[in-house]
Amino acid sequence: MSRVETITKPSAMTGSTPEARVAVLEAQLKEAIVEIAELRARDALKTQFLANISHDLRTPLTAVITHGEILRDGILGDLSPRQMESVRGIINGGRQLLNQVGEILTYARGAANQLTLVPTRFAMREMLDQVNALNAPLMKKKRLTIAVEAEPGLPQVMADREKIAHVLANLLGNAIEFTPSGGRVWIRASRALDEQVDSLLVEVGDTGVGIAAEHHDLIFREFAQVDATPSRPHHGTGLGLTIARKLVELHGGRIWVESQLGTGSRFYFMIPFEQPD
Amino acid sequence: MGQAHVLVVEDSELVTSALRVLLESADHQVSIAGSIADALEIPRPGSPSLVLLDLTLPDGDGLLLVAPLRARGWNKFVALTGHDDPAVRQRCIAAGCVDVLLKPVPARELASKVAAWLG
Repeated sequence: MSRVETITKPSAMTGSTPEARVAVLEAQLKEAIVEIAELRARDALKTQFLANISHDLRTPLTAVITHGEILRDGILGDLSPRQMESVRGIINGGRQLLNQVGEILTYARGAANQLTLVPTRFAMREMLDQVNALNAPLMKKKRLTIAVEAEPGLPQVMADREKIAHVLANLLGNAIEFTPSGGRVWIRASRALDEQVDSLLVEVGDTGVGIAAEHHDLIFREFAQVDATPSRPHHGTGLGLTIARKLVELHGGRIWVESQLGTGSRFYFMIPFEQPD
Repeated sequence: MGQAHVLVVEDSELVTSALRVLLESADHQVSIAGSIADALEIPRPGSPSLVLLDLTLPDGDGLLLVAPLRARGWNKFVALTGHDDPAVRQRCIAAGCVDVLLKPVPARELASKVAAWLG
């Protein structure tokens, strides 16, 4: 039995004076406080380890990818079609792994409060087009149609460009992943007031499988997928929405979902157009 | 384009080995330095020359090398970074780099760009 559990055990307190019971409770409370501090320190250590290890994994991975590309691009001579197929497999696997390691690194840095914003002013419309272009091959493969809209006259936003692109990529990635072939995906950017703050509102919607109301909170928690069985049909680190929420909140914004099972999903995030100095 | 002397300043041997294969296959002479201190030990280049510069070196910011290496005869600088961020890009250009490459360094892009940078 751990020290924390003994606090709730009444047997330790029976048959003694009230003063003695208070003394026991106070001692136990002190122990519990020490224990919580130790656990927090250990948790922080593990988070730091996760950040370090994922950072260190990136360098060798980038070397693997570059070596693969040297072979693929014929810089050392032409490859046979089968050699080419094999080398492409190395590069694709390496790139996928690099993305996942990047996700874990961002998550760990967020959990350790080591993410800082580097805001610059940029046009949302351009970012939407870039993210869209990046995902176009995947959407074509799944025969999904996409509509990208930005409200005319939308002001430029002062935000960390890389982090907002990351949020969009994760939301769009989910929309593509969870929408069956032939479905529709859309992204809309508009201007809205969030508690009287002039804000950018972005919607990423799809006609996919949808999410039951009781899972709307769960999906933003780390390592959560609604179906967590090993044979689950959808893979990934389970960190995409946790990271998206963290990055949006870093901007003083918020993120939420509107969805029901079978009716598709609409993810929204809102950030102020200006960041406080 | 002709042969050039390319200095790669990057602390990971795994990354420098890939860049060496790439650059030597295009007949460039390649020197490798793993830190700011190492880079300052590399002999002056025969021209034309090019420096590929990682931003995070074990002994400091890679961009600190631009001025001292320029004084030693290196004349073109290209930054290597893991951050796809216009602010980082701007900082590199302001420090005197002619271009910024995102890691993992795309082999074909690097091979074709070296000629343009040297030109």
